[in-house]
Amino acid sequence: MIFRKTLLATLVGATAVGAALLPATASAENTLRMAYDADPVSLDIHEQLSGGILQLSHMTFDPLVRWNQDFEFEPRLATSWEQVDDTTMRMTLREGVTFHSGNKFTAEDVVFTVERLKESPDFKAIFAPVESVTAIDDTTIEFTTTKPYPLLLNLATYIFPLDSEFYSGTDEDGDPKDEIVKNGNSYASRHLSGTGPFEVTNRQQGVRIDFERNDDYWDESSPGNVDNIVLTPIGENATRVAALLSGDVDFIAPVPPNDLDRIRNDEDVQLVTMSGTRIILFHMDQNRVEAFEDPRVRQAFAYAINQEGIADRLMKGFATSAAQLSPAGYAGHNDELSPRYDVEKAKELMAEAGYEEGFSITMMAPNNRYVNDAKIAQAVAAMLARINVTVDLKTLPKAQYWGEFDERAADMMMIGWHSDTEDSANFYQYLTECPDAETGAGQYNASNYCNPEIDALVAEANVEVDLEKRAEMLKAVEQALYDDAAFVPLHWQDLAWASAENVNIEPILNVMNFPYLGDLVIEE
Amino acid sequence: MSDTIVPGRWARFRDSYLLYSFKRDLIAQVSLVIFALLIFAAVFAPWLAPANPYDLAQIDILASELPPFWIDGADPAYLMGTDAQGRDLLSTILYGARVSLIIGFGAVLMQAVIGVSFGLMAGYLGGRVDAFLMRLADIQLSFSTLMVAIIVGALVKAIFGGATFSEYAVPLLVLIIGLAEWPQYARTVRASVLAERSKEYVDAARVMGLKSRRIMFRHILPNTLSPIFVISTVQVANAIISEAALSFLGLGMPETHPSLGSLIKSGFDYIQSGSWWITLIPGAVLVILVLVINLLGDWLRDVLNPRLYKG
Repeated sequence: MIFRKTLLATLVGATAVGAALLPATASAENTLRMAYDADPVSLDIHEQLSGGILQLSHMTFDPLVRWNQDFEFEPRLATSWEQVDDTTMRMTLREGVTFHSGNKFTAEDVVFTVERLKESPDFKAIFAPVESVTAIDDTTIEFTTTKPYPLLLNLATYIFPLDSEFYSGTDEDGDPKDEIVKNGNSYASRHLSGTGPFEVTNRQQGVRIDFERNDDYWDESSPGNVDNIVLTPIGENATRVAALLSGDVDFIAPVPPNDLDRIRNDEDVQLVTMSGTRIILFHMDQNRVEAFEDPRVRQAFAYAINQEGIADRLMKGFATSAAQLSPAGYAGHNDELSPRYDVEKAKELMAEAGYEEGFSITMMAPNNRYVNDAKIAQAVAAMLARINVTVDLKTLPKAQYWGEFDERAADMMMIGWHSDTEDSANFYQYLTECPDAETGAGQYNASNYCNPEIDALVAEANVEVDLEKRAEMLKAVEQALYDDAAFVPLHWQDLAWASAENVNIEPILNVMNFPYLGDLVIEE
Repeated sequence: MSDTIVPGRWARFRDSYLLYSFKRDLIAQVSLVIFALLIFAAVFAPWLAPANPYDLAQIDILASELPPFWIDGADPAYLMGTDAQGRDLLSTILYGARVSLIIGFGAVLMQAVIGVSFGLMAGYLGGRVDAFLMRLADIQLSFSTLMVAIIVGALVKAIFGGATFSEYAVPLLVLIIGLAEWPQYARTVRASVLAERSKEYVDAARVMGLKSRRIMFRHILPNTLSPIFVISTVQVANAIISEAALSFLGLGMPETHPSLGSLIKSGFDYIQSGSWWITLIPGAVLVILVLVINLLGDWLRDVLNPRLYKG
């Protein structure tokens, strides 16, 4: 290393590059070694709407705007925006931005990206309100929405412009490069070109991903000084924590609840926690199990599961037990709903529905996606045994789990959802609306629950401009879902990250769990 | 009867070198006592255990991660504490030891049946049969037990589904571990048979016109029993370890029917965050179980090997 530094310094000196460059070039390279519980399942950021993919998006792409820690919009690739009329918004784009491939970033790239998002099975539902997007000139775009839509800027946090030139044409197999193949092998799932702070230099799925700082990154005011990132997935909780404590890695997430104290008490590492808004729940598939069509059976399941026990014991209090989708602070959060654990009542309901003897179901849950996901599933299986329901539980890594989820391969499936728009309606749109492949509604509704009345109420709420009225409507939706026991909510999981003392993670973390690693500072 | 010249079985046993050396070997005595206790506990687990760890309805999440009785915060209802799901650890260990022993002995029985038959045939018949069987053994030996077990286990899970696998996990593991390790027996038996085959009593039997099968099983086999006994003890210990390793990797006993191995695995996350007992107590039981079997095997080898008579 020393040799290299001297060599670099000599080179720099010899070629007489400007003095301002000298300190930056001469300092040693900063490498961040980080361990998540899993690596992103694909390099195609439109293939799956998931936390892992959005984390990758924030590393290798830039959104038009992003949330800062105070929940305000921070301009990124869009520098300013104005509402032209009720349904039109005009945005000015940043100039002088180039993609990793060297192509120039223009308004056409944004148009290309939004059109691709509207094609993506996972993303199209949230982009449904956008009717069209047009490039006025190279640096100006105009969004038109079908109806007045107050959450357009929230949506813009999910628009990470793709390199339209890079993703156009066909690959060696003759498939279009912009093709979106879910859980498959497409050009975009293996190649990536964005504007973001990091480029992917090497990827072995499930083993590691290497990132290198984008030398031409446009954001020169970013304090970030990380030159290389090595992301290693470590699925085993204890191993991940041990890797941090032994100094093998500098940054880990998530931190298992039972190790929080251990990390807090260690002087060489720091812990950052936030109370989370991600709901963890179980769907009960009505298409697969006839009994789930009976609301009494669904209610019995909701009564049989001890949410508080899970939050308290398995999560060590590092979660808030839930009886609805919207966390406190969201417009739809209904204070009157509370977890309803009561085994006797559950047994009564089962008997009423004619299932006193119980039945057998299959259950699937990921084992490296949510905090303690596999353990939670086991606990739920044990709780259901009390109402004579036999559970065949299978837990699998998320890379395989989402494929199974898309096929609705088990009677009960676990999912966690964080509202993409930081608004209650997003939950209903994805998790409880009648599934419709055309519009993307109910894309993750593995209950196959369908109640048009509730859907109508959500649609009505979405165009309601009076916020108080809207909140009342959303609360009524939560109440209706609760009464109908459309799913079994478990808890909102809290967030925890930990890093070595010199890695200053606190300023780059947020409640969405999208670390802005481009701005990460490693202190010398 | 009392004045017959041939002593009875019991008398023969009393006068045997086996008992003589056992009485003088403290390690063997202690090992046997512990082993007998473990067997007893495992066999009578359903009556001894305070709870049934396989009955999910008895598990209470609110009673999870309770420490064993000598640590503050323990609940006297759970002597050895509970695991992360609220299972009583003592009961789970008793049931788990039962599973481990069933799989250990079952797998060894299976290995012995296949291995001894193949070994006898290879050694006695020789020629092509020998070549074929021993090459088969070579091929089998070139796959490690764990690998065979992982492949077979994964295939069964993929074809018949997790529920079927859980239901038949014990016989399947017996089958897998039994099939994977028979060459150990075959090779040992074949070596002994080769030594015995040229002896006069075998020639005599052949001259009398006895069939090959009778000579193999009634005449040669009894003379090769000592190495079989010794290898059996080692193999029981090996099979138990294999089962624990497979369960630890998540390919053995399902989490709902924990054996010692799966219990150790389920506590692994907690070993450094306070709840060490979930892993360490079953781990200790496993170590003790395997150790006493190995010690007994060691002693048996010393006794049965005439070249190792102790002075």
